[in-house]
Amino acid sequence: MDAVVKRLIKEIKKEGDQDAFAELVDLYKDKVYQIAYRMTGNGYEAQDMAQEAFLRAYANIESYDESRKFSTWLFRITTNLCIDRIRKKKPDYSLDAEIQGTDGLTGYSQLAASQNLPEDQVVTLELQEWVQQEISLLPEKYRAAVILRYIEDLSITEISDVLDLPENTVKTHIHRGREALRKRLGNA
Amino acid sequence: MTMSCENRYEILLDKYLDGEINQEDRLELFEHMETCEDCAARLRELKKAVMLVQSSSHISAPDGFTESVMNSLPNQKKRVTWKKWSRQHPFFVAASLFIILMVSSLFSVWNEQAGGDISVQGSRNVAIDEDAGTVTIPEGETVEGDLTVRNAKVEVEGEITGSLTVINGEKYLASAGDVAGDIEEVDQVLEWVWYHTKQIAGDVFPAGRESKD
Repeated sequence: MDAVVKRLIKEIKKEGDQDAFAELVDLYKDKVYQIAYRMTGNGYEAQDMAQEAFLRAYANIESYDESRKFSTWLFRITTNLCIDRIRKKKPDYSLDAEIQGTDGLTGYSQLAASQNLPEDQVVTLELQEWVQQEISLLPEKYRAAVILRYIEDLSITEISDVLDLPENTVKTHIHRGREALRKRLGNA
Repeated sequence: MTMSCENRYEILLDKYLDGEINQEDRLELFEHMETCEDCAARLRELKKAVMLVQSSSHISAPDGFTESVMNSLPNQKKRVTWKKWSRQHPFFVAASLFIILMVSSLFSVWNEQAGGDISVQGSRNVAIDEDAGTVTIPEGETVEGDLTVRNAKVEVEGEITGSLTVINGEKYLASAGDVAGDIEEVDQVLEWVWYHTKQIAGDVFPAGRESKD
């Protein structure tokens, strides 16, 4: 995977190869979209942010340092865009809002059901909607750290690279986010 | 449970959940939770919250996401396509490069010759008048073989047994004069190039030339 990514990036850097870039988007679109979705809490903004993240990555590919992980660089662009969006304005859409042109369809129903989880870990759709809502209520700094740690499964060191924060700050953000979630989700 | 105790075990709980607790602290924490229901409940709740977040389903990018991104990119497709094409068809690239070089070298040769000195190829039995810009084959003289004249007016009063080619000039055929072969006048660059191409073709395929003659 790493070798493939390196080759693709080389081709993009050399001649702006758009076919190579399309392959790169295919490789990372789910992770980037997932981060954007968890950060913003709705599909429209997630699509918008994820797309913008890829466009910026393409435009600034020259500034990507190949000695570092590409995913770290891409996730940094994504989280920065999401944090900026959250700070600039309260989200246009809420998960509870009906999606235009659909009958009673809310953002929650776009969440896919859990797949391949052991039975005792299968979480119902309603529970997932509730968890996402609670994540969306976290301050954006804590939200980013918690999402990267527990949904994207990154190490503290990687998160520190993505968010450009010292490891101890990352830990503090995770602890505070975790504590806030404990109060809301812990006694379910 | 005092405030300091709470802080102490809160830190240990966080370390435990981060997977960074050492054996000693771990034993201390679990020993403490045997008797402290608050801390035990706290750990249960934290674990549950983390489990809920971790098990929230992984969602995928919507269909058509990649196409949507690609359609928003600045348009550089043509350049890339050309580059790819040229990589796949090196022969065409080499051939067109060759033609470009050929044509440009012919043009430069033409430019050197145009307006230059009178030159005559083929015979010495001619009278060259540099000032008037004429080349005369005097009456009674016979030029054996082909004659090529550049940058001059040609007056044929004598005889040419081969063909006459006038490049960048004029020909004047006196009634007494006679040219056994073809008479060809070349004025324009393109005609000149065509003439040269025919020459080359003639050299390359001598059989074809003979049959034409």
